[in-house]
Amino acid sequence: MKNNVPITRLGKFFNDREFELEIEMGQEWLIGDMNYTCILYKIDRNKIKTDDVYGEVVSDGIKFLPPVEFNAQITIAAPENKLLGSATKMDQVEPGNITISVYLKTLKDLEIDIDFGDYIGYYDSENFVRYYTVVNDGRVVSDTKHTYKGFKPFFRTIIAAPVGPNEFRGL
Amino acid sequence: MAIPKKGPVKPTLPLTYSKTLLPRREQIKDMITKDGTYLPKSLLHADLDKGFLDFVKENFKIVTEGVTVPVVDIIITTQNWSQFVETWDFQNIDKNLEPPFLTIIRNPEVKYGNNPAVLYNIPNRRMYYYMEVPTWDGNRKGSDIYKIPQPVPADFKYTVALVCNRMREVNTLNQKVLETFASKQAYQVINGHYIPIINDSFTDESVMDLEKRKYYIHKYDFTMMGFLIDESQFEVSPAINRSLTVLEVGQKTIKRPQKKKEPVELSNIVLNYNSGSTSESYFFDYTCDLFFQESYNISSYSVYINNSYYGDDATKIQINTNDELRIDIVVGQLSGIPFLKFSQKLI
Repeated sequence: MKNNVPITRLGKFFNDREFELEIEMGQEWLIGDMNYTCILYKIDRNKIKTDDVYGEVVSDGIKFLPPVEFNAQITIAAPENKLLGSATKMDQVEPGNITISVYLKTLKDLEIDIDFGDYIGYYDSENFVRYYTVVNDGRVVSDTKHTYKGFKPFFRTIIAAPVGPNEFRGL
Repeated sequence: MAIPKKGPVKPTLPLTYSKTLLPRREQIKDMITKDGTYLPKSLLHADLDKGFLDFVKENFKIVTEGVTVPVVDIIITTQNWSQFVETWDFQNIDKNLEPPFLTIIRNPEVKYGNNPAVLYNIPNRRMYYYMEVPTWDGNRKGSDIYKIPQPVPADFKYTVALVCNRMREVNTLNQKVLETFASKQAYQVINGHYIPIINDSFTDESVMDLEKRKYYIHKYDFTMMGFLIDESQFEVSPAINRSLTVLEVGQKTIKRPQKKKEPVELSNIVLNYNSGSTSESYFFDYTCDLFFQESYNISSYSVYINNSYYGDDATKIQINTNDELRIDIVVGQLSGIPFLKFSQKLI
């Protein structure tokens, strides 16, 4: 059985209730006002079709749990114009990574978790969704930045890299 | 109802459509130009590049999960639009190339070659006799002398890069390359010339950055040990011409009488018995008969053939090839050198 130890730091002017209030206010701003939404396609690791030797997904072999829409703060990096490898001479504009900052409470309320390799869809426009694969699930939130003024962690920063349709095409 | 024997009924039906428009024109052009001259075909940079593209498409064909991995069908150059045109069928919505695919890069610099067959043995690009070709202009029969300079060796460096997401595709290309170059080199026939290709090295440039899209880039470096032949440098010069005179004669054959063989008359054989000799010999390398003609100061003579006694005072002597005739005489009472004379007749 896990022991729950109350957090008493900053106790003179801050406590757990105020922390929850701040989170609720933040969620009100993020969800109510901003309303940036992503769709999580969580990999179904039991049904996914993989190669026997290398464990790589075969074509159209990715299986995922029912998609879940969640709110987060989104930052998308600028695309990068570069050669595909140093010697191929094939240039391309590689879409930038997406950085998703999501409240831990949001994940808890929706009963979802985001792991390495999960896919995230983000609608660029009404008829175009770009898919990303999680390359950093931001699970470690012990750093001060992810805490509310050093009181407790309250959000995760997830970084996902764009994928092509030969890897993932969503629904 | 019987089938009509004449009319629009086709005896056979073509199973394939005949080519039309551009494909037909290309077919006719190929018919004209294929083996059109006695000279070897030109082999220049673009020919060798095209030959290497064909080599990759033929030998490194990868099929993964039932789909052939596309090959970028050009040598990528500085013009960006050509990359787009050649790759439009495997681009994604961002117009980026969607793995897996194979691409071929040629190093722009082409250095003097190492092909030992054509290396540094004739200076100054002198023109050399290639062949003599018979000609006929309707009146005169002659020949042309074809001269070509020695081909210039040139090494073309290529890189074949596989961009893909799966190890199985990496494995398949690797297997094909290793099998193709198991004997160090492979050959490609380009414009009728056998050009060796050597696999130099293999490098991995896979993108495995933590926070980037990951994919494999496997590069295989090849050297095509080619040579350059430019048909504009060939020389065709006329050689010997010969006029042909045609004489028209009747076709009726005339039987001519057969010539009779005239007998060969041989000279007489005279045996002189000088210095008191009583025996003389004569060697025959032919077959003949000897007939006694006359004698002087001889009372009698004895004939021996090959030292075998033949007879005394014989008037006809039969001689075979390689016989040695010896005639011993009894000298008469007269003064003077005795002799015997025989005429001869070939048998």
